[in-house]
Amino acid sequence: MARIPNLGGARAFVLHRPHPTVQAITRQLSAIGLEAIGFWPELPAEALAADFVFFDVDLGFDEQFPWKPGEAPMPLIALIGSEAPGRVEWALSHKADAQLLKPVGNAGVYSALLIARQSFEARKLLAGEIASLRQRVAERQTIVRAVEALSKGAEDGRAYAQLRSLAMSWQISVEEAARRIVAMTQGEGDDDQSDRA
Amino acid sequence: MKRHIEIGILYSRSGNYRLVSESCRAGAMNAIADVNADPAVPFEFVPVERDPQGNIDRYASGCADILANSGARHIIGCVTSWSRKEVIPILERAGGTLWYACPYEGFEANEHVVYTHACPNQHLVPLLAYVVPRFGADGFLLGSNYIWGWETNRVARDLIADAGGKVLGERYLPLGEVDVARLIAEVQATKPDFILNNLIGPSSYAFIAAYAELGRRDPHFRPERCPILSCNLTECELPALNGAGDGHLSVGPYFHDISGADRGAASVSSVMPASSFEAAAYASVRTLAEILTRNPGAQWMDLPKVFAGTSFRTPLGDIAIDPQTQHATLPVQIGRIDGTSFKTVTLTKGVAPDPYLSRYDRTETFGRPRLRVVS
Repeated sequence: MARIPNLGGARAFVLHRPHPTVQAITRQLSAIGLEAIGFWPELPAEALAADFVFFDVDLGFDEQFPWKPGEAPMPLIALIGSEAPGRVEWALSHKADAQLLKPVGNAGVYSALLIARQSFEARKLLAGEIASLRQRVAERQTIVRAVEALSKGAEDGRAYAQLRSLAMSWQISVEEAARRIVAMTQGEGDDDQSDRA
Repeated sequence: MKRHIEIGILYSRSGNYRLVSESCRAGAMNAIADVNADPAVPFEFVPVERDPQGNIDRYASGCADILANSGARHIIGCVTSWSRKEVIPILERAGGTLWYACPYEGFEANEHVVYTHACPNQHLVPLLAYVVPRFGADGFLLGSNYIWGWETNRVARDLIADAGGKVLGERYLPLGEVDVARLIAEVQATKPDFILNNLIGPSSYAFIAAYAELGRRDPHFRPERCPILSCNLTECELPALNGAGDGHLSVGPYFHDISGADRGAASVSSVMPASSFEAAAYASVRTLAEILTRNPGAQWMDLPKVFAGTSFRTPLGDIAIDPQTQHATLPVQIGRIDGTSFKTVTLTKGVAPDPYLSRYDRTETFGRPRLRVVS
């Protein structure tokens, strides 16, 4: 979906030793309307709130970041000078979303920002989906128990259909409905007691 | 005797966009004459001219030729964005500066280019902000098939969506194509509230002529109900329209106001510029002359410092150039075509450039979204 990319006022940290590369990136960032903040050799804690982080691949190391490799909470752009395979591999371990080759000239930052943001968001979305699928897979046991509870000796196929229609009428997932049913069957005794009180 | 300083001129004197190109060239040449006659300027400009003849492949070579075979470090030139993008690598390699005096689609801020005409927050955004409340938000988008049309229409799609409207069609013609029957049929079938015209040269003239014909058959397509909007149509092309453009709208930093309301322009230039292209090219040369008077030998790397905190007297008014993006702060005028001139309908002075639309605000542009009545 095409949108006017609203980058105005965004903050970008540039993790690179003082160098014309930083000036070239800073110039492009401020022309686009971002605030650029240079740091070396370590990112401060406030970098956690940055909208983008550019990081040097040539001299970079894991301890520079206030997060574990691959877990940056914002889009990362790798600044690659030497294309030594070990360095590229290290940049990949940090899951860089886009890259810029050094020396950085008059252009490149804008497309890097847009590409990094889109691939970061796609990656985040995918990770969210995978987590929810994993969770659903982990609920297989619960579904089996809920079907057992509903069937009470009758046919499993019909019990499963009943579970699905319950999930539909409660407007929740089958897994969630199964969890409720299991909880309800477990809690039946307690409910009876409270009714009596 | 005054010292001589060479200055590059890179405008096509033939081809599809000849009228625009000649208008820019006239502005640059008038400014050179005025600079040379001005006793306050300690040098004379000597133009070094190359004519790419409207051939895209001859811009880079023309630019390289000027930079290699003359002392010129500053070039006034290029009309299409395509040609500007062609010369940028040459400027970067040779350390030259292009003074670009045409409206363009934005999303660029090269250190080797000074942008003296409008970018989208100075043309398309204010134009649609004016049109939507008066005519409606549903648009039909047209363009010549290259970067200006593509990118301007892309921004227009977003703006129309933000205004709560629909894009009823988006069509492109090859440069120079004049068969517009199909476009007219589609416009007629979809009945938009306005047409955004990013066609250039003969394609644009053919469309405007055919649309006037359509308006005679169906009142919906008259300018007072469904206007054609342009971000780059100026006086220099009005004679090519033969009156078919009357009532339609264009936006720019300047109109040649025959009523004399804009005497400021006349007091700066010996010849009052006939269009905003002419005015912007004139402004480019005069600004450069002012810079070289104060900092002889100033080159691309010196410009941001020179631009900071300074303004320049030009036919566009006193203009500042943003040191970060090298785009000019400009007046924004919307004009209605009336024969061979424009009648100004709105004027906003001193609009700062925002080439990446980083400060674009939907609510500021189109107001609060209208609430639909739910009953």
